[in-house]
Amino acid sequence: MKSRPKLKRLDLTSQMPKTMKTLILSTLFILVTGLSISQDCERIVRDCEKLLKENTNGSDFISDGQVYTAFLDREKAQFNTTFFGGTTYRIAASAGSKDNFVIFTIKDPQGNILFSNKNYKNAPYWDFKVIETLPVTIETELDLELKVTGCAVMLIGFQK
Amino acid sequence: MKKTLLKPVFLTFVCGAFLFSCTTDNQDNQDNIDNEVFDPNSSLNTVFDGKIFSIPSPVQTAYLIKSLDLPFDGTLLNDDKTVGEYVTDYKQALNLGIYGTDLGYSTLYDQKNVTMRYLSSVEKLTSELGLDAAFDTSFLKRFEENNGEEDSMILLMSDAFRQADNFLKQANRKSTSALILTGGWIESIYIACQLNEKKSNTDIRRRIGEQKQSLNSIIKILQEYNKGGSNDGLIAELEDLEESFDKINMTYEYAAPETSKEEKLTTFHHTLDIEIDDVILNEIKTKIEAIRSNITNA
Repeated sequence: MKSRPKLKRLDLTSQMPKTMKTLILSTLFILVTGLSISQDCERIVRDCEKLLKENTNGSDFISDGQVYTAFLDREKAQFNTTFFGGTTYRIAASAGSKDNFVIFTIKDPQGNILFSNKNYKNAPYWDFKVIETLPVTIETELDLELKVTGCAVMLIGFQK
Repeated sequence: MKKTLLKPVFLTFVCGAFLFSCTTDNQDNQDNIDNEVFDPNSSLNTVFDGKIFSIPSPVQTAYLIKSLDLPFDGTLLNDDKTVGEYVTDYKQALNLGIYGTDLGYSTLYDQKNVTMRYLSSVEKLTSELGLDAAFDTSFLKRFEENNGEEDSMILLMSDAFRQADNFLKQANRKSTSALILTGGWIESIYIACQLNEKKSNTDIRRRIGEQKQSLNSIIKILQEYNKGGSNDGLIAELEDLEESFDKINMTYEYAAPETSKEEKLTTFHHTLDIEIDDVILNEIKTKIEAIRSNITNA
């Protein structure tokens, strides 16, 4: 009986220069990390959606149709929006369900601080009764004592 | 020794960063390395410049119109029969925003037949834009089941638009997201201007004046996600519109807000006076008509 020719195992990695191996492994690491960040953000968006529905006293908050996401790294994210008069708004923010990681601050056009959840144990949501329309600046940051880097998500809802 | 270790690590980061950067649609901002906010959905070397944009929901203006007991005016809506004529992503995204606002307006007035027609237009454009996940059969079923319950329908619709926005941002299609928001905003101001033209109303005039900040955000978001200069024409038109808005006088006076810890509620007590005369209002109306016409004409 003829014996089969022994197949030589092709070990690409053993033939690769060490530099190339490191390069591929590290690139994979970066790709996986990027994917993981994206998945984390998705999970946090879902957590945040629940906050928009909590304790609404029977009148749901209608989403403004947008998701505000930022990957924060010891920095602040800032944006402007308008709160229309005769409306109650809810701001919900999350960077993970284990703790209240996000600090959000609302400032008026003169830079006066109108509210910061920092004064209320970083409450993950807060409601705002707006009698007259107001252009505001909203600043978001992580509480660095709890988390220094990560995905932060904010949602805005309103009651008619 | 040190040299041999550092070289592959450096090469790795350059290569990894390059691979990620291939997926982004926003190449204009890659120079802004020193900015504050990192987009989790973009590459490690693709930073967007510390800005998040927020455009108030157009549904809020529809709620205001309804609260003023103004009758429903179907002639103001964009013709739903033209939906098939929008063939580019650019036109589809802008007109999705426009039809979305029309859908909200007709829903609030319990216009069942009109609502179903505009739902169909929204469904067609979301499908064309690959947003079926947000406007899937489950959403359509629930929306139809709630027909007549306008608050529930608005809630479902707003949630679907939020899911679409999230999907687009995750998929690095922020330019499409920006165009949808822009279309929605333009349609809400168009409807407000037309209704005010028919019968002048203090609340509507004020609401139009209150859009100054939103217009500024709209221009910035279009500039930020301006793929290949595709938004240039629209930006120029909106900047011209901004010149009219700049003529509106706004006087803000601070007053300390009041917070109830138990209710998790803060009430704002400031005042904001808005002066907008007929000439400015007419200018805004004329410019909005032209901008909208350029969008809705296929």
